[in-house]
Amino acid sequence: MTQTNPTAAGGLRELISFRIGAQEFCVDIMAVREIRGWTAATALPQSPSFVRGVINLRGAVLPIVDLAARLGFEGGETTDRSVIIVAQIGDQVVGLLVDAVSDILTVTDDVIQPTPEVASDTAKTFVRGLLAIDGRMISLIGLERVLPDLELVAA
Amino acid sequence: MDPLAAIRETFFQECEEQLAELESGLLAMEGGDTDSETINAVFRAVHSIKGGAGAFSLEPLVRFAHVFETALDEMRSGRLAPSADVLKTLLRAADVLADQVRAAHDGAPEDEARSAALAEELKALGPEGASAEVAGTEEAWGDFAFQPLTAVEAAPDAAGGAWRVRFKPRADLYAKANEAALLLRELRRLGDAVVELDASALPPLADLDPEAAYLAWTVTLPGELDETAIREVFEFVDGDCELEIGRDGDTAAADDADDAAPAFDISALLAKVQAAPETLVVEPAPAPRPAPLAKAATTPVDAAQPNPAAANDAQAAAQRKPDTAGATIRVDLERVDRLIDLVGELVINQAMLSQRVMEAGFARASGVAMGLDELEQLTREIQDSVMAIRAQPVKSVFQRMPRLVREVAAMTGKPVRLVTEGEGTEVDKTVIERLADPLTHMIRNAIDHGLESPETRAAAGKPAEGVVRLTAAHRSGRIVIEVGDDGGGINRERVKSIAVERGLIAADAPLSDEEIDNLIFMPGFSTASEVSDISGRGVGMDVVRRSIQALGGRITITSRPGKGSTFTMSLPLTLAVLDGMVVSVQGQTLVAPITAIVETLLPKASDVHSLGGHARVIAIRDSYVPLIDVGMALGYRAEPLAATQGVALLIEGEGGARAALLVDAIQGQRQVVIKSLEANYRQVPGVAAATILGDGRVALILDIDTIVAVSRGADSLRAEKRLAATG
Repeated sequence: MTQTNPTAAGGLRELISFRIGAQEFCVDIMAVREIRGWTAATALPQSPSFVRGVINLRGAVLPIVDLAARLGFEGGETTDRSVIIVAQIGDQVVGLLVDAVSDILTVTDDVIQPTPEVASDTAKTFVRGLLAIDGRMISLIGLERVLPDLELVAA
Repeated sequence: MDPLAAIRETFFQECEEQLAELESGLLAMEGGDTDSETINAVFRAVHSIKGGAGAFSLEPLVRFAHVFETALDEMRSGRLAPSADVLKTLLRAADVLADQVRAAHDGAPEDEARSAALAEELKALGPEGASAEVAGTEEAWGDFAFQPLTAVEAAPDAAGGAWRVRFKPRADLYAKANEAALLLRELRRLGDAVVELDASALPPLADLDPEAAYLAWTVTLPGELDETAIREVFEFVDGDCELEIGRDGDTAAADDADDAAPAFDISALLAKVQAAPETLVVEPAPAPRPAPLAKAATTPVDAAQPNPAAANDAQAAAQRKPDTAGATIRVDLERVDRLIDLVGELVINQAMLSQRVMEAGFARASGVAMGLDELEQLTREIQDSVMAIRAQPVKSVFQRMPRLVREVAAMTGKPVRLVTEGEGTEVDKTVIERLADPLTHMIRNAIDHGLESPETRAAAGKPAEGVVRLTAAHRSGRIVIEVGDDGGGINRERVKSIAVERGLIAADAPLSDEEIDNLIFMPGFSTASEVSDISGRGVGMDVVRRSIQALGGRITITSRPGKGSTFTMSLPLTLAVLDGMVVSVQGQTLVAPITAIVETLLPKASDVHSLGGHARVIAIRDSYVPLIDVGMALGYRAEPLAATQGVALLIEGEGGARAALLVDAIQGQRQVVIKSLEANYRQVPGVAAATILGDGRVALILDIDTIVAVSRGADSLRAEKRLAATG
């Protein structure tokens, strides 16, 4: 399943792909610290709807972002198969709730196509590029803006 | 950090310790403890600072320390009596020295005029200030040698006599085709060598054995040569000759011994060599070695100051050093915090494990359950021990207060004596750091507002000197710090009229004495009718109260007219754990800090009244306080809980405002480990922090003040947040 391109020595990237509903997304593997099963989160008051709450990650308090809601889909129903991708964003560690993790992709930079111009703000904010793998479209997600903007919410 | 900067940093750290020693020594002397041990300790402190400052070329510091030291030396030698006036000058000098050290550290500008003025005062204390001045910086460098560490390096060069090499070939040397003359020539190449032949062993020609060796030489070489260079010359004849290398003076003993022995009896000597070759070859012997050292240390001191005690000081200092180094280590605070975090996780994990074991249906008396009990005890002990690492005696912050008292006393013209007790009481380092500001403010207040003027005191039949007491003690798992004065007490009439004037209370409000006393903590209250230079700096007691509350503490005041006032602060011993009441709200588990809770009660329908909209009040012993539904305030539910279905927590928040928090149920009381929400997320209004419960789930710790503020309306919430950000 792993797609490699031996001709391009430089610019090799590893990406983790995952599913939300029928769509596939991926993030850079270097940002991913671990993947764990879903456990119920403690709801946080006065928080945006896409913040599911906080869980205990070996003694640290980890906020959980429902990525489906964050990307503007219908709020995800959590199932037994739902997983949390624990990702490092800047100096914070955040859990991303997704439906399932599907694959690890090794690609070169030139495989990643620029995001086409679309009207969706969400696409502009989060999608960093598109990959066509085995006829499937996978969106590369940038994580920098996943957490709620401090200034926006605090005001 | 480059090595020199690191050494410099260590020097300044040590300076802080020396300054503390200096101050406590001077204060002890002020208290009548003027034995030579105390005076010596004070002298040593100043001297060490001077020595270190010299090494880093901190000229102004060296100059001032020198003048200071000269004055102290006068006292040490008994020529200057430690009178109260002299000690006051010395204490002020200690303050200036502390400023200079800090100035040298930060590169901040120092108050030169003040230093110079005090230097003059100090010189006036000495017998002939002028001569001490001439000795000046040069002398400061000269007696640097009596810093114990430096002396070890400096002594061999400075004080070593000429080398004396006694060389006596054995027959074997010649048998191996070595030639004594060549060796002597090598020695001469090293430097100006004076070679003396010792032919006394030469027998009459008739008795001479052509194969034997009879001659010996003594070569005197310049003292600055390296001993190994000399030994290298004899590298190839090692074992084939008698060789003694020593300094002038300490070889004398060996020579004498040789002379006394029958020098002609080579075989006897040979036997001696073979029996104990090392005693002869290895030189210098360890025993005589320290002799020139001690001499080197004493000489400059003798020359500069006619007091042999100084050498003893150096030795005493040298002896004290290893003690302190062995007893404590400096550890990066981050490492300790990491350890504390890990132990916190261990505690949580252990609680989770216990819960799982119970769920699995093990009996209480089963081996597993009993083992878990032991584990629990052990984890608690580990947690306590780890917390103790962060604990420090409050001394470090108490120590700063005598200086403050001196300065404020000088400014107000009120003679003040500071009495401290319980300096050894330990509390978390973070608590200590954040205590300094409130304590400073309260002590300023105590002197400026609390103590009366000397005239008023005299009229009241009190001693002119006011007393400010600063005490610390452990009481039921908390630290209690008190700041008291023996002044006039709170003028309740005036406090009340000011509060009415500022619109803080209604003119006809029936207030108890205690309630009036506590008015001074209200925001916007300041009793000083004119803004005074000392305590009127725009910060009132409300700021003190806020900073104490931010530490999870409470502050109260008791006052007796004519007798004085006492502020009592009760603080948690650590900021890492919190005593909390675990409550449930709409299926969520929350923790309320116990310090804020006054009482809990089951509301009766008849006590709860609606005030329009969702606002409700509850009657508690004839006074109405707002009833706040925590579930609503945090947005967990849209419809308020019927008051009779829940439990109310009566809390006292910032500024003494009371409110009742309505929760669904109380689960119990527990000590919880505080976890930051900001680390991975951000601040959440109404939530102070998070913790992890025994079932492994996260529970939120309520920020009671914000919840009360939220219920007052969004505007006040923002105001609170701004205050919190600036405070």
